[in-house]
Amino acid sequence: MSLLGAGRGAGVLALAALALLTLLVPGGLRAVDARFGVQGLPATYLPALEGPRSRGAFDPAPMQEIARIRASYVIVGDSMAGTRIHTTRFEELVGRPVGDVMQAGSGPVFWYLALKNWVIASGARPQVAFVFFRDTNLTDVMFRLDEDYRWNVDRVAGEREDEVNAAIAAAGGWRRRARSAVERSYGADRVRLWMPAALTDRLARSLVPGRERRARFLHEMNQRFDVWHVRPMDAADVSAPDDELADFDYYVNRSVLPLMLRDARAAGIRLCFVRVQRRPVGRRPPAQSKALQTYVAKLRDYVVSHGAIWRDDTGDPDLTIDMYADGDHLMTSARPRYTEILFQRVRPSLQ
Amino acid sequence: MIFHSLDFVVFFVVVTAIYWTLPHRGQNWLLLVAGYVFYGYVHPWFLILIATSTAIDYGAARAMEAWPHRKRAFLALSVVSNFGMLGFFKYFNFFVENVHGALVVFGLDVSPPMLRIFLPVGISFYTFQAMSYTIDVYRGELHARKSLADLAVFISFFPHLVAGPIQRASFLLPQVEKRRRFSIEAARTGFLKICWGYFKKLVIADNVGIIANKVFALSEPSFPLLWAGVFAFAIQIYADFSAYTDIARGTSRWLGFELTENFDHPYMARSPSDFWRRWNISLSTWFRDYVYVPLGGSRAGGWTWARNVLATFLLSGLWHGASWNYVLWGLYHGLLLVATRARSILPRAEQARPLRAAAVGPGLARAAIIAIAQTAGMFALTLVGWLLFRETELSMIVRDLSLSPFAASAADRQMALYLFLLTFIYSLPLWLQSLWVELGRDAEERRQAEAPSVAWGRVTLQGAACGLAFAAVLIFRSTTSLDFIYFQF
Repeated sequence: MSLLGAGRGAGVLALAALALLTLLVPGGLRAVDARFGVQGLPATYLPALEGPRSRGAFDPAPMQEIARIRASYVIVGDSMAGTRIHTTRFEELVGRPVGDVMQAGSGPVFWYLALKNWVIASGARPQVAFVFFRDTNLTDVMFRLDEDYRWNVDRVAGEREDEVNAAIAAAGGWRRRARSAVERSYGADRVRLWMPAALTDRLARSLVPGRERRARFLHEMNQRFDVWHVRPMDAADVSAPDDELADFDYYVNRSVLPLMLRDARAAGIRLCFVRVQRRPVGRRPPAQSKALQTYVAKLRDYVVSHGAIWRDDTGDPDLTIDMYADGDHLMTSARPRYTEILFQRVRPSLQ
Repeated sequence: MIFHSLDFVVFFVVVTAIYWTLPHRGQNWLLLVAGYVFYGYVHPWFLILIATSTAIDYGAARAMEAWPHRKRAFLALSVVSNFGMLGFFKYFNFFVENVHGALVVFGLDVSPPMLRIFLPVGISFYTFQAMSYTIDVYRGELHARKSLADLAVFISFFPHLVAGPIQRASFLLPQVEKRRRFSIEAARTGFLKICWGYFKKLVIADNVGIIANKVFALSEPSFPLLWAGVFAFAIQIYADFSAYTDIARGTSRWLGFELTENFDHPYMARSPSDFWRRWNISLSTWFRDYVYVPLGGSRAGGWTWARNVLATFLLSGLWHGASWNYVLWGLYHGLLLVATRARSILPRAEQARPLRAAAVGPGLARAAIIAIAQTAGMFALTLVGWLLFRETELSMIVRDLSLSPFAASAADRQMALYLFLLTFIYSLPLWLQSLWVELGRDAEERRQAEAPSVAWGRVTLQGAACGLAFAAVLIFRSTTSLDFIYFQF
């Protein structure tokens, strides 16, 4: 029977059948998961973001190190901190031990958890924790939280991180809730955990026989594409901030910034937020949109009103283009100089 | 607003539901509001540009008819204002950078007045679409529209607003003006296109895009790794761009519109001219009709023809972006066309037998081998083009092209094979579809022409395919959501 032959009614039926099948066929994913999937995976500490999975282990070493040296100052951040602060020079300047929990390719969730689970948990009670960030990163809870970066969050996350999870859920809004609901209703969140990996594993197995050889191959490939082998500008991740994220009032309570300020205050640690200067253009700092300028002004007022120290490198005449290596990173040789400049600028606040 | 966002899904369902309850005029007003909401969703100030462009083109076209003796001046007004906006937002910094570079060569190092200009998405697409209207009115091929609202709907029709296909006024405007009826058949085929489009974007393009991005981020790629990355990019850009077109055409059908096709399995092309009949068809034909033909086309022959081809392709390359690599890419394709036609290195598509005919006629084996060799050869040439397109630094292009295939380590060769096969696996549905259409094209066309009905068995298969596509999207959707590549143009 043809659609046109049967008239409009059959046409409507066919369209409905098409839509129904589209919605029903993915229902088979549960059966596929039951047959091939890994069962009994533990619940994640970020259920707003992902289904059950095997996580990387918590790494207590940085916490133990901070406790061991009785750090008076701690540096928190990603490569923006790592390529700016010369820890030894900083120790000479402040005359006290300086600890660091810097992690390349990390975001605000890592920074907050590092503060809570490493710095505060160490019991060292440093006087000041410096938190380095770029533009809107502090209130963008999703910055560097996708699967590529989850491993470094695993290193620092506890068994449950309900408050971080709540911030992520709030930041995602109805979109993430709707997507999660659809994925869970079909069991796709569970199948996602193993099927894409099974595809790549299968391919690796057929290309590189032998478990050990395959492990070596995958290790070599990970090394070949790691941050040390990519072009400087890619490693520096210099994309301009999105003005959509520069809505401070909307994002601040959907971020981990309030948690950071609250926990630091409760632990007697003063926070110093350092907004690094993006790569200058010629002899000038990079242009900033009006939205970003408004955002930064609000962010400054917010953290200062919560007792934190604010430092914005942007526009500092001493931070010149010749100090920059690739993107927003500074050259290794410029780190002592930067550390001295930062110390001079924040010294009055530290006393 | 982007197609692969939940916002768009909700937006489209709501607009479509309201749309079919309204009379024709109401539908057009709704489309206008929807187009402006869609376009100004993230950056409302974009609307000033599109509204200005619409108002100028409306006024210029009306003035051309009112004062025909001055129509050249009004066309100039339209062209200058449209290309002025496009030029400022897209090419200002490029121009300043190059002027500055030239001054430095002459020993004048002045600080260039760089502006932080945010390129409005889709400006190249709707500018060209709007231009087609005023040029056609100037040529007398179209009459100036009295309804500003209809013209505004034509320019801001949201399904294809930001990444095409670029529609001609003579094709889309009549559809805006006439009454539209909801067609179940159009809705069904539109639904299929939308499903296929989302699958191509979220499963194929985004996943192979990660491979391409990883390779092109390497500071020192080896020959095999680089070309595995170029292959991944070739798949990404086709899957990505054609996905946008499919979703645009599918959603349009739900609104009672038909948009022109933009892709015809370009990687099945057997010569450069064949490729350009299959790739970004709406842009190619735009340049053909508004640049190549006015320049003289192939009428003069010889060097003049070659000059016209090269100029057209150079401009087409520049249209893609304010960077020399795009110019190079355009020039490369222009040179391929000139070279193949001039020296008959490869047969022109019109002379080549269709793949299917080659596979069943006498001398089957020889014809099939020739067809496969031509297709593979053209694909290899296309890959070289994509390298020029993807690599934005000229120094990197030189470095890439000078890589030796013999200098790579065994580990790199193995990795390249792994990435190549992974890309191939992700893109398998794309290749199968292209092959199926290519081999069965005649039969398929005949079947559609003779019996425009669909059997239940076919509907069931299509439903199952859509369901599998949906399941694949749920599982393989990349967590790194990539924008449609052509948004940046």
